Amino acid sequence: MPSAEPIVRAIHVTRRFGRAVAVDDLSFEIERGDVVGFLGPNGAGKTTTIRILCGFLAASSGDVEVAGRRVHEEPLEARRHIGYLPERCPLYPEMRVDEFLRFRAALKGVPATRVRRRVDEVKEQCGLTEVGRRIIGQLSKGFCQRVGLADALIHEPELLILDEPTIGLDPAQIRQVRDLIRDLSTRHTILLSTHILSEVEAVCRRVLILHQGRLVAADTTERLRQLRLGAQRITAELMGDAEGIRTVLSTLPGVSAVAVEPNGAWVRASLLCECDADPRSELARRMAERGWALRELRLEETPLEDIFIALTAAGEARNHHGRGGTQ
Amino acid sequence: MRAFGVLLRRELAALFLSPVAWAALTFFLVVMGVSFWMLLDLLVRGAEASTGGSVVGQLLGSIFFWLALLILAPVITMRAFAEEYRSGTFELLMTAPVSEGVVVLAKYAAALLFYLALWLPTLMYPAILQGLQPYGAPTDLGALASGYLGVLLIGAAALAVGLLASALSRHQVTAALGSFAVLCVFFLVGFLPYLPDGELRPGWIHYASGVSHLLDFARGVVDTRPIAFYLINTVWLLWVTVKVLEGRRWK
Repeated sequence: MPSAEPIVRAIHVTRRFGRAVAVDDLSFEIERGDVVGFLGPNGAGKTTTIRILCGFLAASSGDVEVAGRRVHEEPLEARRHIGYLPERCPLYPEMRVDEFLRFRAALKGVPATRVRRRVDEVKEQCGLTEVGRRIIGQLSKGFCQRVGLADALIHEPELLILDEPTIGLDPAQIRQVRDLIRDLSTRHTILLSTHILSEVEAVCRRVLILHQGRLVAADTTERLRQLRLGAQRITAELMGDAEGIRTVLSTLPGVSAVAVEPNGAWVRASLLCECDADPRSELARRMAERGWALRELRLEETPLEDIFIALTAAGEARNHHGRGGTQ
Repeated sequence: MRAFGVLLRRELAALFLSPVAWAALTFFLVVMGVSFWMLLDLLVRGAEASTGGSVVGQLLGSIFFWLALLILAPVITMRAFAEEYRSGTFELLMTAPVSEGVVVLAKYAAALLFYLALWLPTLMYPAILQGLQPYGAPTDLGALASGYLGVLLIGAAALAVGLLASALSRHQVTAALGSFAVLCVFFLVGFLPYLPDGELRPGWIHYASGVSHLLDFARGVVDTRPIAFYLINTVWLLWVTVKVLEGRRWK
């Protein structure tokens, strides 16, 4: 098998639950050795997509390949290449850590003669050497997460899929888990699902952004970071007709998104601008040209969330536009 | 088949290490103990005639067997899948490289072995009877063996019912109540052949009467029809269980 072939290939994957569409015509590829952030708000379809990759759920239509195997047709072969840490990290609470890891190693086909060594290795890697004899049900949330991670690693999979690995952890534990993931990224391809942007920035080289089951962006983290540093928000309060204002503002150079809302007799407008553009003077000039009153004009630092909202709103606007609707 | 062995070992450990299992074992031995005590009482009073001539039938085929089975089969199997669904470990299990069929077989084999372990201590009852009758007629060993065969077959089918109920439920209690209801119906249908003739008693009902099957087995009658009945039911119930698990991918 040529190593140039992507480890994951999703082709027009759609998944419905009854009438609700959880994942909508999703196509993407993950290259071997890459560390990919899978980003989206809660309910965007991240977990559903991941479960389809692991063969735990079937796609309503479309196809998924992992390591060149079609997951739907050869689920067991595909799963051998995947180390999966499910969301909220379910474990058998009555088992001891060692016992659980030995069980999982054997279940995943680690040769009997190597089980003990592999268990020791992953315990070392995940900082579990002290707790091998402890019962899982009595461990703290942070340790449970590490046991889950150790389980995902135990059969030396090419691809690690981690679904919200830092959820419910305290800041110190989050940092430990991130360090661990960064450490693992030298040896594994990683797909890291999260709704926290800074997490992606901390460890991922590429990002897939999912919103309402659709892929709204697929880019390198570097580009995302530029977007974040360069982006800025401008707030303006004007007197005039809302639609007219929206039209004029959105034609300003460097403006990527405009939102307007009435505020008494005035109209409050928020603009999202790209990179180093500062259209404030241009905005004021155009307002003056049309004789519209301007009582506030302010440049703000952009919080991370705004970029995210802008991207997901853009996706939504496209959807609405495509269906001939207006908003 | 290594996965089967690995899963079987875990399932057995989970069963034998759970307090529910030990409560079940205690309950079972109390029930069987009462049953044995009543049998001894009958024999001591020289009322052998009232045992229907079958000591084994009284030992294995009495109402106490059914009481135990109706409660134990659901209790042994209720956790099998319902608990994995509830805690989310089902996802852990089904994203490991194992097929649904192997998982079902392993859980079923563990339940069956646990059921057999429950019965193991009851072998002392016939042993005691032998000891008590140094000059009387010893317990019929052939009938004893076929009686235990009946206990095994009926138990095997009942456990398959319990496993399917567990695969269909998100809560252990739902699973237990579901399989308990089905087994109750089966038990009550078993009495239909003993009703006076009438519309309630179609001729074929004998083939589905667990009560009369077990009494036959306890008399030493090894009939292939009930054997086939329980084996076939066990197999299709397990097959449906596998399909239920596979179907969850589409849910």
